[in-house]
Amino acid sequence: MRAVNEALWLIQPRAQATPASAQLKTHRLRSSSAIRLAVRRLAANALWVAPSEGALRLLVGALAHRLKGDQTILSLKSMSKARSEFLRSYFRTVLSADEGVHLLPTEELMNALSAANRAELIIGGAASDADDALILYRGDLERIVVPFNWFTVGPASRKPNFAKLAIVDGGQTVRLGDYEAAVDAILYEFDPQYRRRAKKRLAERDDSLGGALRRLRLQKGLRQSDFASVGAKVIARIERGEVRKPHQKTMVSIAKRLGVSPEEIATF
Amino acid sequence: MPFELTLPSPWADRGWKAKIRDKERLEPPHVSIMNGKGDLWRLNLRNNAFLDKEPPPKGVPQEVLKSVRARFADLQKEWDRMYPENPVSSEARSKPKDARRE
Repeated sequence: MRAVNEALWLIQPRAQATPASAQLKTHRLRSSSAIRLAVRRLAANALWVAPSEGALRLLVGALAHRLKGDQTILSLKSMSKARSEFLRSYFRTVLSADEGVHLLPTEELMNALSAANRAELIIGGAASDADDALILYRGDLERIVVPFNWFTVGPASRKPNFAKLAIVDGGQTVRLGDYEAAVDAILYEFDPQYRRRAKKRLAERDDSLGGALRRLRLQKGLRQSDFASVGAKVIARIERGEVRKPHQKTMVSIAKRLGVSPEEIATF
Repeated sequence: MPFELTLPSPWADRGWKAKIRDKERLEPPHVSIMNGKGDLWRLNLRNNAFLDKEPPPKGVPQEVLKSVRARFADLQKEWDRMYPENPVSSEARSKPKDARRE
């Protein structure tokens, strides 16, 4: 009896029992870790039962996690969901020109992929209206998620049109209708490692905490008077370098308003 | 809308552009020069110098640079129009006395 049970595995994600699966008397695998454990104990003739789409996805995800290395794949052609799922079993990231995914024009895409700084270029993206966010793919296929509300509208700007997403300028610009955002600004905001590299590349810069605070405050579109619990004069004195080591409580308040941790401020 | 300079031929045809986009890193004010192949140079609108060591500034063709610098005042004006909260002139007001030039 024990041998029979071990040769039959039912994949049943949590809270996804079906009438059919309820009738099956065997081990139930409810998580990726349980599946991976089962794989290690797998008998050659084992039968896996996946009664639902959710179960299939759980299985493919768990096996892919076990099989795949650090490879990624980009397809210039659209692909079926089935093929995409298949590839995801072997590749950590799969990007294809499916509906809603916008890639750089082919020639620019090839240039970007062969560029030494490809990880600092955006080669494709998609707008998720349901999530109010852009999913952007760098040249190494790493993803960046940028909330719609990050694309602030200045006095000379048109409102960004997320339905008209395009990647242009060799991967240096994200175009949203008549609105354009610098990829440099996106990476600087959302990737701490990029920020560190970018600062190293600067020919001249103000290394001080005050300089970093000023850059970050301006990037967030805030005035010195926009910090409720810290006065504008204090912010100004820190930015001018007159307060070299602000009180921790002050830094916590400033950081909270800026949406970063106190330690992060100096990295900008 | 972004502010884009019209660059001379043949550089524009080869993909070269110079522009200020709607969302830039704000500090310091700058114009971005791009070659369409993924390279980007930032020219400081406060002191007319390249901001970054990499890529090497010499990668920008002289004709392109000359064309950009010829419109420097327009670029400064446009930056101030697009980013009034961080105008080109603002650094002078807030810079500490002993600070290095940015």
